[in-house]
Amino acid sequence: MASRETTVFGTINQTIVVLKIIKHYQEEGQGSEVVQGVLLGLVVDDRLEITNCFPFPQHTEDDADFDEVQYQMEMMRSLRHVNIDHLHVGWYQSTYYGSFVSRALLDSQFSYQHAIEESVVLIYDPIKTAQGSLSLKAYRLTPKLMEICKEKDFTPEGLKKANIGFEQMFEEVPIVIKNSHLINVLMWELEDKSTVADKHELLNLSSSNHLEKSLQLLMDRVDDMSQDIVKYNTYSRNLSKQQQQKHQYLQRRQQENAQRQSRGEPPLPEEDISKLFKPPQPPPRMDTLLIAGQINNYCQNVKEFTSQNLGKLFMAEALQGHN
Amino acid sequence: MSRFFARSDSESEESSSDDEITDKAPGATFKQSLLLSDDEEDTKRVVRSAKDKRFEELTNLIKTIRNAMKIRDMSKCLEEFEQLCRAFLKSKNIVDKEGIPPFYIRLLADLEDYLNQLWEDKEGKKKMNKNNAKALSTLRQKIRKYNRDFESEIAAYKENPQESADEEEEEKEPEDSGSSSDSEGEVSSKSFLKKKPEAPSEATDRSQTAKESEDKSSSSDEDDDDDDDDGDWSPSDSDSRSETSDKEEENALKRKRLVTFLKVKRSQDTEKPGVRKEERKKKPKQKEQIEEEAEEEGGWEKVNRGVPLVKEKPKMFAKGTEINTAVVVKKLNEILQARGKKGTDRAAQIELFHALAAIAAENNLGQGILVKIKFNIIASLYDYNPNLAAFMKPDMWKKCLDCIDELLDILFEHNNIFIGENIAEDSENLAVSDQPFRVRGCILTLVERMDEEFTKIMQNTDPHSQEYVDNLKDEGRVCGIVDRLLTYMENKGSTEEICRVYLRRIMHTYYKFDYKAHRRSLGLQGETKSEQDQEENKEENKEENKEENKEESEGEDSAVIMDRLCKFIYAKDRTDRIRTCAILCHIYHHALHSRWYQARDLMLMSHLQDNIQHADPPVQILYNRTMVQLGICAFRQGMIKDAHNALLDIQSSGRAKELLGQGLLMRNMQERNAEQEKIEKRRQVPFHMHINLELLECVYLVSAMLLEIPYMAAHEFDARRRMISKQFHHQLRVGERQPLLGPPESMREHVVAASKAMKMGDWRTCHSFIINEKMNSKVWDLFPEIQRVREMLVRKIQEESLRTYLFTYSSVYDSISMATLSEMFELEMPTVHSIISKMIINEELMASLDQPTQTVMMHRTEPTSLQNMALKLAEKLGNLVENNERVSDLKQGIYGGYFNRDQKGGYQQKQSYQRDGKSYQQKQSGYQRGGYRNQNQGNY
Repeated sequence: MASRETTVFGTINQTIVVLKIIKHYQEEGQGSEVVQGVLLGLVVDDRLEITNCFPFPQHTEDDADFDEVQYQMEMMRSLRHVNIDHLHVGWYQSTYYGSFVSRALLDSQFSYQHAIEESVVLIYDPIKTAQGSLSLKAYRLTPKLMEICKEKDFTPEGLKKANIGFEQMFEEVPIVIKNSHLINVLMWELEDKSTVADKHELLNLSSSNHLEKSLQLLMDRVDDMSQDIVKYNTYSRNLSKQQQQKHQYLQRRQQENAQRQSRGEPPLPEEDISKLFKPPQPPPRMDTLLIAGQINNYCQNVKEFTSQNLGKLFMAEALQGHN
Repeated sequence: MSRFFARSDSESEESSSDDEITDKAPGATFKQSLLLSDDEEDTKRVVRSAKDKRFEELTNLIKTIRNAMKIRDMSKCLEEFEQLCRAFLKSKNIVDKEGIPPFYIRLLADLEDYLNQLWEDKEGKKKMNKNNAKALSTLRQKIRKYNRDFESEIAAYKENPQESADEEEEEKEPEDSGSSSDSEGEVSSKSFLKKKPEAPSEATDRSQTAKESEDKSSSSDEDDDDDDDDGDWSPSDSDSRSETSDKEEENALKRKRLVTFLKVKRSQDTEKPGVRKEERKKKPKQKEQIEEEAEEEGGWEKVNRGVPLVKEKPKMFAKGTEINTAVVVKKLNEILQARGKKGTDRAAQIELFHALAAIAAENNLGQGILVKIKFNIIASLYDYNPNLAAFMKPDMWKKCLDCIDELLDILFEHNNIFIGENIAEDSENLAVSDQPFRVRGCILTLVERMDEEFTKIMQNTDPHSQEYVDNLKDEGRVCGIVDRLLTYMENKGSTEEICRVYLRRIMHTYYKFDYKAHRRSLGLQGETKSEQDQEENKEENKEENKEENKEESEGEDSAVIMDRLCKFIYAKDRTDRIRTCAILCHIYHHALHSRWYQARDLMLMSHLQDNIQHADPPVQILYNRTMVQLGICAFRQGMIKDAHNALLDIQSSGRAKELLGQGLLMRNMQERNAEQEKIEKRRQVPFHMHINLELLECVYLVSAMLLEIPYMAAHEFDARRRMISKQFHHQLRVGERQPLLGPPESMREHVVAASKAMKMGDWRTCHSFIINEKMNSKVWDLFPEIQRVREMLVRKIQEESLRTYLFTYSSVYDSISMATLSEMFELEMPTVHSIISKMIINEELMASLDQPTQTVMMHRTEPTSLQNMALKLAEKLGNLVENNERVSDLKQGIYGGYFNRDQKGGYQQKQSYQRDGKSYQQKQSGYQRGGYRNQNQGNY
């Protein structure tokens, strides 16, 4: 197992998985709503082959007694009956403009990875996909983050000690999508038949809508970040103030003891300083880290998007000039 | 103490021998005493004052306690004692009046002594069972604590046990006699108090007579005394004995009462006749009175017993009495004395006054006395209702009006009558007709009170009933009276009085729309406009009333009257309140008649807005009414912003109804108890003075719409955009939340629908939503100059729609021809030109005018929404970096490093982000709540 951790995981998706995920989102997810499901597959050498999946049912408030675990077991058993891989190898989730780095994702991925070493989370971006390029990414928590999560130490000191930045939280796993040969043949055939109009999305020049949304989300995160920083700021100021007080107190005590010694009296007993000065509650830093990760993610998205668009714009300009 | 013991010792033997006798024949004594006291029992049963009842309760309890003491039943004793304490508390009212009853003190003292004794007795204590011992200690502690409150009384009792014992009997007896003869406890107690000094001397003498007359009674009398002391020396008495002695005691008491009663009567007859004359007067049974006293007697009897008046009438003055002023005045005073007393029949009193007035008139006693009586009649009419909340009955009210009218008649006819509050009672001149009459009393106060009563009647009548209309018709009379008083006061009264009566007059004028003047000003004399027919019923009523009551000032406009009266008050008034009210009414009147500039100037010059919050609630209500009227006036004049600002304070609170005194809001009871509610109810403005709340809200919302929609369009992407009107936004949101949008029904829905249309620059739809049949009937028809208002509204809608259109769609145009715009919004070219120019000057629209082609060239400097967003993001990131720096500064230990970083200007170049922040702020300041005044003052 240990050797496998260090090797880079490659994931291989079957087309059926991708299509199922897309179908799931089309059917159930709208707007910013998120759909989730379970990935099934098996580990082959240093690759993880995801061969099938099934969605989590959308459960509403009124059936609270719905047992998810029960449902999963049931589902897997049924799949096994029809001779499909039934090993749990992770889960998938849709995302809205690339906003998926959240506490919930971290927690559930941690528990997955904790239980099943090789599990991954597939993030499917329906909006990007709708624009013409399939966006599917697989992530795993880095071993560092796993450790921190295990210890549940999210204090500034803990994170500092772990020396973790937002860049090192998730590692992306390369994905290869494989089709059976028959499907490949079918695809070729379909491509021949399809008209040019179907591909227009790729050349869509309108960009402001997408950018605006991204910016909006980015802004929200930045706001959160600012708030967190302010909180941290007050915390560290309080801490340093207290440190000073503690220092002063100790000095005074020392002086007094010295005086007493010179007078021949016994020194004052050492008191528990930590009782006198309760350190302020440190703000949990994990959220900040996550926000930073999310911001990073947004930035990547925007960068990617704009670079593509710039290319398109130049192309369009060149075309115009040509005409 | 020693004396006490000595006495009880000496008597102990006697009583023990008595015991045997009573033991032998308890039944006989009982019967006998019953027979003896039979008649008294009867009377006692019939009338028993509260005091009797309470005291009997107490004595019963005391008796049980004594019994328990005798058998050493401590737990019972404790129980009873607690009950006694409770009973005593209950009778506190009576005790406060009468003083602590001596028998009560006696029990307390005895009980304490007894308990102490028991406590000392260690042996006995040991023998006691557990319950008793426990009760004993509790009781001992309790009584100790309790007796602390009565220390002085107990000490007094211990000093002289005999006297206090006698006193008790003494007390009982007059009270009984009182209750048998008449039910006035007060009187009898008074007489008792007077008699008190005689009591000690009488006591011995009485006991002798008692002994002589009845052996039995005397023995039981002693027995009674002994019983009290029982606790000290004979705790081991048998049960049966105490029972019998109880009965004995009761009988003895009754008997003694009888005896003493007789005795007192006898001694009264012989002793000091002068002093007791007073007493006898109060005992109406004794009929030998002199003639003068008979009148008094009659007065008392009538009042006390409520005997039908018709019978008593002849008794007013005895036959043959020469009726002169002095006699009548005396009689008047007698009647007056009964005023305010409990049990006084107020209706009867009023009748009495009337009768007196009739007699005075019959005998030609002169106007002075008549005026005096009239004053009293009116006063007692006002007094008829015991509490403030109730209002006068219609017949009372009519009577009151008549009376005041008559009084004014007299005052007008006879110029030589001086009336005033400060004329002393004894310096009155009622009789001598060659000198001017001087009468105490204030007609002004009476009229003011009458006015208040009128308001109260109006408040308490259902405004949608015919009754209300009927009552409202009385307003004519009220106004008439106020007017007459006004003319009277102008001749006779002091400045302050004139101010007060002027204010009354103003209060009756300011809220009425002067249709005549209005018509005159329009040059439509005699022609009835259709709009006027549509006016509500109440409006017509108002006018009717006014026409009635303004006969003498027919030619004068109400504006002129208001001006004259108010200016007098401004000049002469010394009290701030009257002036404030006058100013507010004046403003209201101006605003009502669309004299906007006068109204506004007066409001601003008076500086009322600064300190109105210190005024009392009624004035504040008046202020609110005035502000609302001012706002509506501004709206009519097309000053949308002023209208909005004036109405903002009232509307934004959501309590317009309450603030205008036009009804109470439903609130939970914890916020307001019944008492407060009553007070608030009294502050309500009568219905005929109400300002239509729907009109108010509609005017507010429409003006908010005209301001807010262009503003929203102009600042669509501004993060720091402020709302001009929260309420308007709330309405919009409510409108948006509707799942299904049908055609608008209510006024609010109309405004919301119109706002939506305006947002799109669609002025025609907006117009059709604001002005249509429904809205006309609901709102606009309430304006007097409806046509003008409608025209103004249409124009405003067109202008603001144009602005909104330009804001919203300017990014779509490269250039737009003004002719097209003028056609689209049906505005003349110059208007369009001026509106656009204004927008350009205010930097609201990035464009320039191209004169030769009459087009607007857009400059496209407006950032796109994406750019706006990016700017915002940049700003936020700047903040973030700044915050981050602080953290790192702190880490490096440079405290306060960030305080002086401003000079470095590292990330402070925010000005570059805020494109036109300055101009925003300037614009926004005008919309701030307080901005109304500042802005206006700036305009002068």
